[in-house]
Amino acid sequence: MMPPQPVILGEMPSLSKLYVNAAAQAARRRLLGTHDGSDLPAESHEVRGVRVDVGNLTAYQHLIGESASDVLPAGFIHALSFPLAISLMNRDDFPLPLLGMIHLRNSVEQRSPLLFTDLMDITAHVENLRGHRAGTQVDVVSEVRRAGSADTCWRGVSTYLAKGVFLPGIDKPSAAPARADFKAPDPTALWQLGVDTGRAYAAVSGDFNPIHLSVLSAKALGMRRSIAHGMYLASRALADVGAVRGDSFTWEVDFEAPVFLPCRVALDISSVQGSAGTWERSEFTAWNPRSGRRHFSGSVALL
Amino acid sequence: MSIDGQTTTGPESGTPAEAPAPRLRRAIIVGGNRIPFARAGGAYAKSSNQDMLTAALDGLIARFGLQDERIGEVAAGAVLKHSRDFNLTREAVLGSALSPETPAYDLQQACATGLETVVGLSNKIKLGQIESGIAGGVDSASDAPVVVSEGLREVILDLSRAKSVPQRLQILSRLRPKDLAPLAPGTSEPRTGLSMGEHQALTTSQWKISREAQDELALDSHRNLGSAYDAGFFDDLITPYRGLTRDGNLRPDTSLDKLAGLKPVFGKNLGADATMTAGNSTPLTDGASTVLLASEEWADARDLPKLAAVVDAEAAAVDFVHGKDGLLMAPVFAVPRLLARQGLSPADIDFFEIHEAFASTVLSMLAAWEDEEFGRTRLGLDGAFGKIDRSRLNVNGSSLAAGHPFAATGGRIVASLAKTLHAKANAEGRPVRGLVSVCAAGGLGVAAILESL
Repeated sequence: MMPPQPVILGEMPSLSKLYVNAAAQAARRRLLGTHDGSDLPAESHEVRGVRVDVGNLTAYQHLIGESASDVLPAGFIHALSFPLAISLMNRDDFPLPLLGMIHLRNSVEQRSPLLFTDLMDITAHVENLRGHRAGTQVDVVSEVRRAGSADTCWRGVSTYLAKGVFLPGIDKPSAAPARADFKAPDPTALWQLGVDTGRAYAAVSGDFNPIHLSVLSAKALGMRRSIAHGMYLASRALADVGAVRGDSFTWEVDFEAPVFLPCRVALDISSVQGSAGTWERSEFTAWNPRSGRRHFSGSVALL
Repeated sequence: MSIDGQTTTGPESGTPAEAPAPRLRRAIIVGGNRIPFARAGGAYAKSSNQDMLTAALDGLIARFGLQDERIGEVAAGAVLKHSRDFNLTREAVLGSALSPETPAYDLQQACATGLETVVGLSNKIKLGQIESGIAGGVDSASDAPVVVSEGLREVILDLSRAKSVPQRLQILSRLRPKDLAPLAPGTSEPRTGLSMGEHQALTTSQWKISREAQDELALDSHRNLGSAYDAGFFDDLITPYRGLTRDGNLRPDTSLDKLAGLKPVFGKNLGADATMTAGNSTPLTDGASTVLLASEEWADARDLPKLAAVVDAEAAAVDFVHGKDGLLMAPVFAVPRLLARQGLSPADIDFFEIHEAFASTVLSMLAAWEDEEFGRTRLGLDGAFGKIDRSRLNVNGSSLAAGHPFAATGGRIVASLAKTLHAKANAEGRPVRGLVSVCAAGGLGVAAILESL
């Protein structure tokens, strides 16, 4: 079966409008009952000719700790494509509530570098609706090509969990996956994250989700304090791996305990050499140095 | 040659070892002068880097009769440096009794700054580019530059580029109250966020350096420095300044009991065994040092002493960012490479001057050099590099007792070691060799060999 034609949006949707819309949708669904479908929208969304603002790129690179080169950092491309991903999850026929979704996992393939001068075509679709012991999870897949080209330069899969939402016909896995006991190693780095960490990343990524902005706005959504953006943390870990990763690589991260702000995050970032003595991959783990709870872990590897 | 080690085969991987070209002439150390080092916030709290460097320089000028002398070049630097001090050394020269026609340059290589100025100027002398040079360094932890926030800085810079009043108002409207809070310079490594002490705490734990061993080294440092003062060793190496005649940090009457009573300050939150205290770590310090270098002809023509020659030097760096090596362990690689190039072994060195950033830094280095496997896999040797005779180590005290005004430490060590070598050579009638090693932020290290004349 041919996939349906993509919905081509005239410009990158505005995240703030999407969030407002999501709030309205949530209210509507509360009044009219939850959405009862268990199918994902089959259409993809696409924006063509996306252009990067170089000032915004520089601000992003400085915040994350990337050197301000002309190559777009993989996390910057995620932020660039993020409104398109949200627009899919904001559709009336998307079966899960957008607000309150938890970012569980992110997996990126940077196949070839994109420069800030490149115009980009960005496509996103949702797939793989499946059960989770705590609710229902779904993958949002974004792909970025140079405008007019058929070759994907960057592909990202973000896995989100709608906690407490169970859809008919989707089985819930019986047991929690065994998570190996975590024992904190000696750290190689220590991040001091100020209370304004969420606001600073919102300013460069455009993701003004209230749970990241302030204690008050986070409390309004049921969090005890504001939390750091997962992609801010993962992008800093990617920056820390440094130039050794080269131009094409995979970058994976699993998010665990949220990082409540302000706080200190301890990290262990170590590289693994292949048999030829050259870099094969770097692995990173981050935890709370006080409680020893793991915040996230992942790897950057040769593609 | 090992794959991930730093071998002794040359300055860069793949370059064969080669002795320096033999036709170069010698660069010699005439002498040195420093001001006593003061604890931060102490006697020099209001003195600037330029004040202290000029004071040390003027003492050197007075000692060796250099008034109105046009020196080949003066090189110095500071680690904590204000942007207005872009020409710190030249300004100090202009404020000194040297000829105003003396050129100068600033250099900065974290805590290795002082030693690197000695190396750079000696090389110019060896090449015949200059006949004389003054190397030095200064640092003030008290008068440290304070920086405005990124927010305020951007507003100020954008304002200077704005062309109209509405533009200026728009830019000013970006200012937030938190932008007005000033920032003191941090002591954290930019890429890891860990302070130098926290980094060393990891290394200390990796090499299993005990608290007792650290305290003993600290005690030796104070005792050796105290004895050297009592013996008048520093009489021709130091000029009093601001009421200080000895290093303010020196505690000759400290004891193992007193040191053992101090609480650990580094490594407490890292899960490592916390053994590093204020007693076995160097305190923040203010001070300046200078060294007079020359060709033999220049020194002879002025009837000046010739204490020792600067034989050779080697810089190294380690990949500390992801924990492959400890932040301060670069000299562990620099020293074996340097000795190999000169065809020397540790037994050929009469005096070791290993900068005491922390007692455990020195002890971790010694442990690495005594480790068979480390020698084989990381240094590319047949076995351990060797054991350092502790009776030859930091015989006149080092940074734990004297303090460590970052860029001033290299000059302190070089001048003291040159004098020690000269005295020993005279007493024993044979050439005497010394080794200087300084570790530095950013995973850097510099080592140099001096030989008596």
